[in-house]
Amino acid sequence: MPDLKLVRMMVVTDPIGLHARTAVGVADVVRRSQSTVTLMKDDRRASGTEVLQMLSLVVYPGESVVVEAAGPDAAAVLDALQPIMAGDFDEQARENT
Amino acid sequence: MKFADFVCREAILAELAAVDKEGAIREMVRALCKAGKVEPGEFESIVKAILKREELGSTGIGRGVAVPHTKHPSVDRLIGTVAVSHTGVDFTSLDGEVVHLFFLLVSPPDRPGDHLRALENISRQLRNEAFCRFLKQTKNAEDIQVLLDEADNNQFGS
Repeated sequence: MPDLKLVRMMVVTDPIGLHARTAVGVADVVRRSQSTVTLMKDDRRASGTEVLQMLSLVVYPGESVVVEAAGPDAAAVLDALQPIMAGDFDEQARENT
Repeated sequence: MKFADFVCREAILAELAAVDKEGAIREMVRALCKAGKVEPGEFESIVKAILKREELGSTGIGRGVAVPHTKHPSVDRLIGTVAVSHTGVDFTSLDGEVVHLFFLLVSPPDRPGDHLRALENISRQLRNEAFCRFLKQTKNAEDIQVLLDEADNNQFGS
């Protein structure tokens, strides 16, 4: 089966934006995948495995990021990244802080 | 945003005594208390808020760096400190490595932009190998402050 290259626009809805924990969550998923993932905002690009690069994108709440995945599990990776980018995993923290 | 905009120089710690996550966080928040940036009565609340967020996912971002943080209503502007552990702290980091460099941030609930701009500055500087290496080699708070000032003045070329 040939490798897929998929692109999806994702909105960062976390009230802090794309912050450290979000970037760590993305990198954790990407490192366990077989795909190469790149995040793009405006003219800036960041590897999905590099937290420091992702934090340098400076994505504010409500802004969108283009996420490109290339590899045999590209679709699954994008599906896994969607809730992380949305900040859904932070729901409990939002209620408490 | 520059380090000078949010790092409290009186709270910089050149040698963390703690060797675990909770101890390190307590030590850094205590330094902010002693520096007068955090009310003593808010100490425990801030520590618990940071620990609760860490439970949801570590802010150990790899390469020996962690950025523990929380929003907290007791502060009216972004405050932070920098700490170095030469021993290293187990922070359940992304890459499994111990953490040597800490940037702890406490921000007002209504100012997410400041938090992101501080993270952008931290990440931009940390991408410079020389800055990271020198920071890990510092022996006292004055050395750390000098390095932060040099980074603010773009002396690491980032």
